[in-house]
Amino acid sequence: MIWRVLATLLAHYRRHPGQLAMLLLGLWVASALWSSVQAVNATAKDSYARANALFSAEVDQLTRRDGQSLTRDDYLTLRRAGLPVSPMLEGTLEIGEERLTLIGIDPLTLPNDNALGGNGDALTAFLTPPWQTQLAPETIDVLGLSRRQAPGATPTVDNNQRLPPLTLRPELPPNTLVMDIAAAAALLDSDNTLSQLVTAPGALTQPPDGYRLSRAATLASPEQLTDSFHLNLTALALLSLVVGLFIVQAALGLAMEQRLTTLRTLRALGVPAFTLTMAILLELLVFGLVGSALGLASGIWLAGQLLPDVATTLSSLYQADVQRSLVLPWHYWVGSLVITLGGLLLAGSGVLWRAARLEILALGQSQAWRLGYQRQLKRMTQGGAVVAVIAVGLALWLSRLPSGQGVLVSFGFVAALLLGSALCLPPLINGVLRLLQRLLHRRPLAHWAVADIQLQLPRLSLAMMALLIALATNLGVSSMVGGFRLTFLDWLDQRLAAPLYINASPSTLTPMLDWLDAQPDVDETLPTARGSVDLLAEKNARGKETTRERIALFGITPAPTITNRWPLLDTQTGRSAAWSALSARSVFINEQMAVAKQLAPGDVVTLETPQGAMPFEIAAVYPDYGNPRQQILMPTDVLVQRFGGDIASIGLVVNESADRQALRQALADNFDVSPDALVDQQEIKRLATQIFERTFTITRALNGLTLGVAALALFATLLAQARERQRQLASLWALGVPRKTLTQLPLYQLGGLVLLTGVMAIPLGIAITWTLVAIINVAAFGWRLPLYLFPWDIFITLLTALGVALAAAALPSIQLWRSSPQAMLNKGVV
Amino acid sequence: MLVLHQVHKTFSTPQGELPVLNGIDLTLDQGESLALMGESGSGKSTLLHLAAGLDVPDQGHISIEGQRLSSLEEPARARLRRQHLGLVFQQFHLVPSLNVIDNLRLQARLAQREDAEWTAHLLARLGLAGREEYFPEQLSGGQQQRLAIGRALAVRPSLLLADEPTGNLDEQSADTVLALLLELVAETRCALLMVTHSARVAAPLNRLVRLHLGRLEDPRP
Ligand SMILES: Nc1ncnc2c1ncn2[C@@H]1O[C@H](COP(=O)(O)OP(=O)(O)OP(=O)(O)O)[C@@H](O)[C@H]1O
Ligand SMILES: [Mg+2]
Repeated sequence: MIWRVLATLLAHYRRHPGQLAMLLLGLWVASALWSSVQAVNATAKDSYARANALFSAEVDQLTRRDGQSLTRDDYLTLRRAGLPVSPMLEGTLEIGEERLTLIGIDPLTLPNDNALGGNGDALTAFLTPPWQTQLAPETIDVLGLSRRQAPGATPTVDNNQRLPPLTLRPELPPNTLVMDIAAAAALLDSDNTLSQLVTAPGALTQPPDGYRLSRAATLASPEQLTDSFHLNLTALALLSLVVGLFIVQAALGLAMEQRLTTLRTLRALGVPAFTLTMAILLELLVFGLVGSALGLASGIWLAGQLLPDVATTLSSLYQADVQRSLVLPWHYWVGSLVITLGGLLLAGSGVLWRAARLEILALGQSQAWRLGYQRQLKRMTQGGAVVAVIAVGLALWLSRLPSGQGVLVSFGFVAALLLGSALCLPPLINGVLRLLQRLLHRRPLAHWAVADIQLQLPRLSLAMMALLIALATNLGVSSMVGGFRLTFLDWLDQRLAAPLYINASPSTLTPMLDWLDAQPDVDETLPTARGSVDLLAEKNARGKETTRERIALFGITPAPTITNRWPLLDTQTGRSAAWSALSARSVFINEQMAVAKQLAPGDVVTLETPQGAMPFEIAAVYPDYGNPRQQILMPTDVLVQRFGGDIASIGLVVNESADRQALRQALADNFDVSPDALVDQQEIKRLATQIFERTFTITRALNGLTLGVAALALFATLLAQARERQRQLASLWALGVPRKTLTQLPLYQLGGLVLLTGVMAIPLGIAITWTLVAIINVAAFGWRLPLYLFPWDIFITLLTALGVALAAAALPSIQLWRSSPQAMLNKGVV
Repeated sequence: MLVLHQVHKTFSTPQGELPVLNGIDLTLDQGESLALMGESGSGKSTLLHLAAGLDVPDQGHISIEGQRLSSLEEPARARLRRQHLGLVFQQFHLVPSLNVIDNLRLQARLAQREDAEWTAHLLARLGLAGREEYFPEQLSGGQQQRLAIGRALAVRPSLLLADEPTGNLDEQSADTVLALLLELVAETRCALLMVTHSARVAAPLNRLVRLHLGRLEDPRP
């Protein structure tokens, strides 16, 4: 019997394919966007896990204090001194266009058991000629081999050497080759040098004389750095899931309502309530499976499209390597299915509940239903009030958190804000309509139009709520991105003061400085430097705290060309005072460090120098967008002389008549650099802007899709109602209202409704922007942005929503225009 | 067949208690037909719904084929309805998404008692042959009425409960539909309880009762 009932229920969709399409669309969208973001996240997680399986994140590293590179002699000296160090050699191999990272290790001395090398026979094979090349299966493609040919193959690389026989190790990161250090040294032609000397974490309490020790823990793993990035993606995906489920709920509710008579008839004809409920549940499951299958398929496709951009973002922003092909573990599939089906059941629970408690006799049903909606509105108001109280509570909590914390709380706040406003929207609209009805009672047609839209409200309210959420988020996110863009471009202009830059290795740049100074065409050289230092203590308004933490150092040349433009966020007594302080013995810190350590100008940091611990006053805080790490700024010469830093690049100011091409050639002739080592400021800006745009590609894509989905929800809801609307309009026509008026009425009705929703979305969107720029970004990335609003964008977004509503509203009007209203009156008989 | 004993029913409305039925006693035997009359709002439909087990009385009891409705659980009551009752509603309550033939055999199929020959016979007798693929909205009022009757009879019920089956029709069509209904009832030898406003419609039936102020009275002394 249940199948018969199911068939009867499904027959409804054969006659109303639009509703079926809307239902599947909702499910599809919900599951597609969610599963695509989860696919991206799962792939990134997999990459991080594999990167961690390598050593760098989990071992302590030794470097020479004098800045020279490590050699085998260092290794021998330290081993002779009885220290448990292990040598490591790292380099790149070029194969055609691709670059592979080659890592040479000594598995016998390597501290932790990272399963490389192996043991027994495998270890022997790894350690002795012809050696082994261990690599992840994905890397085989780069070598131009098939998986079957790969094991044991010895492909040739660009310098005409052959790799040792290949062995597959799925746990390795992609594009990485691991082999014995002897084999690696031969391939890389590295003579005597080593890249790193590593020891087990904590094995050395003190660095040996002449060496510097970086602790494993101070090198944040890519997973920690990118956590908030993935959290942001997940939040957006969750949003589209919710919007999708709104559509599903609207579609289910509509189908339920239109089938109420059928359901009652079935019950009257002797179908038990339980069977009926089960049939509806079965129907839901069937749709759920179809919807999730569609969603998963397109989600994976979408993830494949987005992944390259995400991978570029992650590597340019966090230096985290993410492979560019998807990796989907089994729990990804199960998780996506469970989320979609769970969401569907949640959205369908109302329908199931109604079916289970269906009154067979429903005399005066529409009246009761209207009363029911009034009750529902009351509950919505109460629910909205409760959620609003929660939002205020979260806001209070946030305001008491130190800045740079509370990503989850702020997402909770945004969610509460959205949900609360969505819940309050239908009661608000209802109130406005009541007021209008009172005002318009002398104008019958307008009065009818308001009363009519009030009757439609129960069905439209879900779509309106979805639209409100999507509009507000869209406004919020797009003004955040837009504001960031403005700030970032400005900042880039200020930071790139010199028209030309030379990038090369420190050993090339240092002698180059003198040569450049001697060139008549060169007016000014502005070297920058990099290094790192142990932070021993920090003293802020709340007291002194001792730590030991490795912090990056950055050096700039405080010449007027730079100091006139270099952006500063906060100083103690003004810009010029700050710059003179820097040339004396103060430092600047970047915003990320100021936020993380709650430091401000005037506070003091104690750094370890070769002369021992020394305090430095902080003179200013500067913005450092795009950098995930904390940084201390000082003059280049101080960094090089006192902290063993290296020249990282040279900014050049050349005179007007200078021949840049000749300079480029002269550089290439005199030094070991390629002609493109000299880059134009414009070129750097172009690259940085490009990276910036890519960073927000996925945000923009998800954002746009969510708004599109909400528009579709509205469109579909209106479409599903089109027939009934025609009937209403037809009866008005029968009463003598001209067709032309009838065509315009729905446009006013819906246009007004959407406009009201849109207007409510604006303050909500601004609140979201504020939370994003002032709290979430600070906590996630360490920088705070000014709040920018873009009235033009707001206007365009409103206009789009309005356009969708009008298009959907026009449909019944057009049909009314085309067919005879009498035919429609007749349709109303059943 | 159908027995009502001291049945009371009161509705509670926002305006207070509304007693509709105040002690109804009624017996209907196999093959018997009974017309139920009374002014609008007197509670005829209410009584019919109680008899069909769609609603429960406040007091008294109702039995069909010797089974007390109050002693049955909801699934058992549903099964009784499916297997033994035919219902024709005042508003036909056809399933708008099913075509004529599927509407016609819906209950029979639910009861797993579909009889293709009988269905075809009904279709022909109801004048709906050739319209199998039509949907209810494409039928005239009379045709819809006939389809509703057909759906109730397709299951060969032992009791047919009809609520003004000719209420929406003009006199002539009403006569035709009524004649057809009575013929079909005779064919299936089921009992018939029919609500009507019209004495003309009530005339051919075996018995007539009038509902007034919540009680049944026999107008023919
Ligand atoms: N669910 C209900 N709640 C409240 N009152 C009800 C309900 N159902 C019926 N009534 C009331 O009970 C009374 C009898 O209704 P019923 O539908 O049985 O009348 P009827 O005799 O069938 O009338 P008609 O000839 O117009 O169809 C009416 O006054 C009606 O308002
Ligand atoms: Mg009635």
